[in-house]
Amino acid sequence: MANVTETKTLDAQGLKCPMPIVKAKKELDTLSAGEILKVVATDKGSVLDFQGWAKTAKTAKLLGQETLSEGGRELYVHYIERV
Amino acid sequence: MSITQLSEITATELYARLNRGEDVVILDVRNEDEFKLGAVEGRHAVPQTNIPYFDFIEDEDAALAKVPYTRDQEIVVVCAKGGSSEFVSELLREAGYRTLNLIGGMRDWKDFYAIEDLIPPTDDLQLVQFNRPAKASLSYLVASKGEALVVDPNRNIQPYLTEAERRGLTIRHVMDTHVHADYISGGVALAKATSATYHLSGSCGFEGDLSTDGQPGMIPLGSATVRKIATPGHTPGSMSLLVNDTHLLTGDTVFVRSVGRPDLGGQAEPWAKQLYHTLTVTLAELSDETVVLPSHYSCHKEMRDDFTIAGTLGEIRRHNDGMQAQSEEEFIAYIQRNMRPSPESYARIRQVNLAVLRVDEAELSELDLGKNECAASQNR
Repeated sequence: MANVTETKTLDAQGLKCPMPIVKAKKELDTLSAGEILKVVATDKGSVLDFQGWAKTAKTAKLLGQETLSEGGRELYVHYIERV
Repeated sequence: MSITQLSEITATELYARLNRGEDVVILDVRNEDEFKLGAVEGRHAVPQTNIPYFDFIEDEDAALAKVPYTRDQEIVVVCAKGGSSEFVSELLREAGYRTLNLIGGMRDWKDFYAIEDLIPPTDDLQLVQFNRPAKASLSYLVASKGEALVVDPNRNIQPYLTEAERRGLTIRHVMDTHVHADYISGGVALAKATSATYHLSGSCGFEGDLSTDGQPGMIPLGSATVRKIATPGHTPGSMSLLVNDTHLLTGDTVFVRSVGRPDLGGQAEPWAKQLYHTLTVTLAELSDETVVLPSHYSCHKEMRDDFTIAGTLGEIRRHNDGMQAQSEEEFIAYIQRNMRPSPESYARIRQVNLAVLRVDEAELSELDLGKNECAASQNR
């Protein structure tokens, strides 16, 4: 995503829910305020779920999401700021 | 020997429990948007709560505090595919709750059919109803002397194959009563898998790579008398199926409480006129005792004590609100009064079912989501 530089990338490819958010939460807790976590997932359901989680999460702010086509499959990428 | 407490439940078992009115409560842990699109449901309403699984990840104690159930209640935990519900189910167990995880989540629920015999099965006639609660769709297996006909099969064709095999039947015919706009038909796939004859109305532009029989007339099936009758209205090509002059499989022409919307094709008035003729002239020849077996229901209130959905033509003539008009004008007015937009996906679903359009598995699943919108009036 333009204008966003991630501090850390979490590879959540192949993980099924709830694991992408379980791991993202863990990673995010290791970051400092203002730092950005990029999560790369293959589970389509993660798009709505990250939106829902960010709505209630105290330490996470969803900066943006994008869908990339890579090698014939879709990657769902989420950018989350630690707040 | 240790006794392991049951921690999972299948869609089939859950539906049976909801229909029997057993004490069970639901915790749906999908996100709010998905939950709003449709949840598990059966004949008896049970308490349902939506607390997304990520709330438990974010703040376990706060999420647990929101669970409105007691530790005596049996909680069925539901999610999209069964993974997150298993996670939440474990958390609840550790907190002392009794839980059951719905195996395969809503993905399995969407593909599951409850199967009931409509009459005591004999070698001369079997009539079996397949109820898909996620769509409120009904499909049928009719059999005589080892030969079977499947009517209005939904997308998951495995239950028809399994049930036919279990009963020692060979599927010789597959019929779609009309080109469905509300669900992805399993007709072509089932006809191909069984090398059965595929019956679909002739005038509707099917482009699939198998021949179709679209004419009214008899379908040879063991010792049963099975007749296709043109019953236009819901679509111009809609057909019904009369079995042994006692049971009428109506597709989306007549339901128990309403009639099939004639406005889904964008030509409400001419199709409504056809439907009025079908209801008042074509069906008038049939006796009040004829049992109507429709391809949809509006709500679970239509379910009878034997867990099937059906009604006699006599009851339907008296109570169905689509059968009360005294004139064609009155009927058209009734249709227009109840008209509402047709779901956006319907044009595309129709094209898929005509094999005019091919889409990938993911889009097929998406198109096939959500309840049908086929009844002229909504009785809920």
